[in-house]
Amino acid sequence: MQTHIRSKDQIVLALPSGLLKILEIQPHTNISIGKFGTFSANLLLGRPYHFTYEILDQQDGQSDSQLRVVPPSELNAESLADVVPTPNESRDEKIETDDGCEFEIVGENGEVIMRNNRLTIDDPSRQALTMEEIEELKKASTGSGKEIVAKIMAAHSALEEKTSFSLAKYTLRKTKKYIRRFTVLPLDVGMLSQIMLEKDPWRIMELREETLGLIASWANIHHSGFDGLHPLEGTQGAGRWLVLDDTGGLVVAALAERMGILYPTDTSDDEPTTSDPTTTANSPEPAPRIVHPRTQSATNNTLTLLHSNAQPNISLLKHFGYVFEDPSPTHPLHTHLKTLTWLQLLDPTADQLYREPPTIPDETLATLKSGKRGAYHRKRRRWERVKRVADETAAGDFDGLVMASHMQPAGVLAKLLPLLRRGAPIVVFSPTVEPLTELMDLFSRERKAAFVRGVQGREQGDGAPPFDEADFPVNPTLVLNPMLQTARAREWQVLPHRTHPMMTSKGGAEGFLFTGTRVEPAEGRVEARGKFQKRRKVAAGDVSGAVKEANSALKEADEAIKVSEMVDEGRDTYEDLK
Amino acid sequence: MSSRKPSPFFTPGPTTYPGSLAMLSLKRDLQMPVVLQTPNPTDPTASVIHTRFGSFPHTTLLNIPWGSQVIASQQSKRDAARGKKRKRGTADAAPDDADDNDSPVFETASSGFVHVLPPTPELWTAGLQHRTQVVYTPDYSFVLQRLRVRPGDVVIEAGAGSGSFTHAAARAVFSGYPGEGAEKRRLGQVFSFEYHEPRCESVRAEIAEHGLEGVVEVNYRDVYEEGFTLGPEAPRADAVFLDLPAPWLALRHLSRTEPSPLNPATTTRICTFSPCIEQVQRTVTTLRELGWTSIVMYELQHRRLDVRRELVSVAYDGLRGVNSNAASVDEALTRLRHLEEKTMEFHGKGKDTDTPAKKEKKGKDAVGRDKQEAIRRRERELQVWKEGRLVHRTEQDIKTHTSYLTFAVLPRAWSKEDEERCRKKWAVKTDTEDSNGDVTMKDDDAEV
Repeated sequence: MQTHIRSKDQIVLALPSGLLKILEIQPHTNISIGKFGTFSANLLLGRPYHFTYEILDQQDGQSDSQLRVVPPSELNAESLADVVPTPNESRDEKIETDDGCEFEIVGENGEVIMRNNRLTIDDPSRQALTMEEIEELKKASTGSGKEIVAKIMAAHSALEEKTSFSLAKYTLRKTKKYIRRFTVLPLDVGMLSQIMLEKDPWRIMELREETLGLIASWANIHHSGFDGLHPLEGTQGAGRWLVLDDTGGLVVAALAERMGILYPTDTSDDEPTTSDPTTTANSPEPAPRIVHPRTQSATNNTLTLLHSNAQPNISLLKHFGYVFEDPSPTHPLHTHLKTLTWLQLLDPTADQLYREPPTIPDETLATLKSGKRGAYHRKRRRWERVKRVADETAAGDFDGLVMASHMQPAGVLAKLLPLLRRGAPIVVFSPTVEPLTELMDLFSRERKAAFVRGVQGREQGDGAPPFDEADFPVNPTLVLNPMLQTARAREWQVLPHRTHPMMTSKGGAEGFLFTGTRVEPAEGRVEARGKFQKRRKVAAGDVSGAVKEANSALKEADEAIKVSEMVDEGRDTYEDLK
Repeated sequence: MSSRKPSPFFTPGPTTYPGSLAMLSLKRDLQMPVVLQTPNPTDPTASVIHTRFGSFPHTTLLNIPWGSQVIASQQSKRDAARGKKRKRGTADAAPDDADDNDSPVFETASSGFVHVLPPTPELWTAGLQHRTQVVYTPDYSFVLQRLRVRPGDVVIEAGAGSGSFTHAAARAVFSGYPGEGAEKRRLGQVFSFEYHEPRCESVRAEIAEHGLEGVVEVNYRDVYEEGFTLGPEAPRADAVFLDLPAPWLALRHLSRTEPSPLNPATTTRICTFSPCIEQVQRTVTTLRELGWTSIVMYELQHRRLDVRRELVSVAYDGLRGVNSNAASVDEALTRLRHLEEKTMEFHGKGKDTDTPAKKEKKGKDAVGRDKQEAIRRRERELQVWKEGRLVHRTEQDIKTHTSYLTFAVLPRAWSKEDEERCRKKWAVKTDTEDSNGDVTMKDDDAEV
């Protein structure tokens, strides 16, 4: 967690209206937040996150405003105030009873406990201030907007008719509109997903924060304990995950955050990290400079991103200081994020980047112009990288697979399951349920049983049951405990006497997860053991249907029950795989 | 590398090994945690795991790749017979063992299997012993996500309870084992508090058994009374998770006044986990009074879905798990016509007394078995697993409510001196004379 706001940090300003605004903070610049005003970025730099500021008035002759930190006591004051009048506070309300104001709950001694809204009148004219007058107020305002709110409240002719609840709501609404406050938040993955959900939900496959959390858990994402650049003996290859990401990099970011490779490590404060990216590529022997590890060279704690275009789309990572086309060599993702195309994985020789460029002997190289020499080395280096990443990916032994992609899951799993080590978790995200019900069905108990029978039949050569490869796009015995799930967080308002779930929230795609574990079946014939208990219920259901139909059917069903009873007694082991 | 064994939770390695925790996956919702041991040579039958899907000697589970399917074993007949003898006279059993040491004691059973999986917090949560209400995977995933717990963070957890959150938090903060070379970076840690002594001991024993010592520190303490501070520099927590009956009583100990258990350099994130709304209200009020901000409350609704094929047709009559009603008007008509014909036939011909008599002779069991076999055969022929329509529904039993999750943050303490220092470093250029004399500060000064 960032300790304070540093220069060039990506920060989020949360406005009272609920709007979240991302910006990169640059020293000696002004930050403008629309009608609320403009202030200097230097007023935020070096300060802690999560402070709420109030924009103060511009002094004469100044183009920007000063800020005031709003203490938590002030922030929480409104929420702490018990808006429901307690009996001894309702003195004046007693008087009102005479004007025929009705009350919902009246205490035994005649004191009003709660008012009702029977007599409220919905009429905009009850607000005495006109639009123009409010605009005037805004211009002339000298404070944080609190005065405007106060004036608006005072000008409302029927404020005392409002129930305490509607009054609180009215105040809140007006405050949200006019108060000149904002909170500074760090931009992290959760915040980014929230912002993207508001702005461009389709770009991140409508992936909500709760689902991100579930993905990380079920994929068992964690730091491997080693940095992966200076591997200790015996730790090589620990913590490597395979990823498919059509969310613009949000999933990669979420996983990287959990692996500790998303945020650049805290180097010396505010030092610009603009070491020339061409230096590593150009000079054949970058001797005296700081030697940065080669790109995509880490051996563990890594993410391998498989993509279907020539370049991966992970543009959202720019918010965390990583740009794929021009990565900063000090960023952890520079070494720990590996990328390759499906072609480089499945048919590498067809990819020209995988083919070795011709070598030029050193003597000839020395005669070349420096530009050409650089190009030669760059090409060699790129080839080395592509070959290394493609080869190590094809060698497999990954610790897990996370897929958040529009591709068909079955085909992807068929190719990637063999690359996972045994016991590795598989997580597939889909905004809609249909692709995943199809995937679940490929691992259904019945299909698995048919597959095992088919394989066994073929091995024994009896060839009795028809075995069509097309029915089994994925070997169903390679995945254990397939599960389909969904989660949604519901926000609540918690205020004194006014606690309830939020009245509205975002709809859209539910978001589903398929999870399972990569396993390896034992060799030879495997029989499940256990009672088959569901039979009776089903058979009984058949009976009730059959009675209505015909007597012959009834007889059959009777026997079915007997069969199921026998099975229940456990005399028969049932052959299907559980 | 140091002498300590890596935790199977973080680095399970390629194969199972003696002393490692392994999860035996019996069914999707039945996970059995087992610490694998090298069997006792004098009595191999002692280290056997008995499940409802067969018996599994540790020898069959050890030193095999994780994720392998293991077939159940049974004691060989010869050995079983000897076992009986041994029970009768224990004294003369010992010499017998010596010369038969390498002969197989177990043989593969005809049915039953398990899968041996490396432990994860998810499997552990599914298989652990319930000592208290468990924080399940959907809840702890959301909590850790919202608390922004990352490798290297320090998390306070109270109370430890059944240990499900403990394991998940340990995975989230883990950034290396302590004592491995000179560590520049701060290593992630979980400080767990539990005021129930037997529960505390159980969690502590589990942590040791799972190789998590140093990553998780279990403390026996009543945090309502004694708070969370463990020393002048500890725990320095970045995030706090309170799963207590009265979190508001513990909140006063989470302040910035020294000695504070919180990390002074970061914003502290908190989550309290309470099943009742009244608890939430009291907690939120206390949080507001103590100056916590960004207070939000969520409840998480999680569902698991069952997927199956819905088979509706007269053609499936007699099969298991199908709906043999007519699927269309045509099917209904065909069936009714058929029944009509049958009735006509019946009235014309008279009762057929032959079949029931035959059946009785054969015996109930045999008939049942034949019938079952016939059903199976038909199922195979019809390939029911790819017929019908794919449907999904919420699983039978759902957790409609686990707990309310209240989140809040406590920003760093910020003194006048801090602000002064910042104002000097990041001076704002002003056109008018400013009272604090910062006007002279130019850009180059600010870059220091």
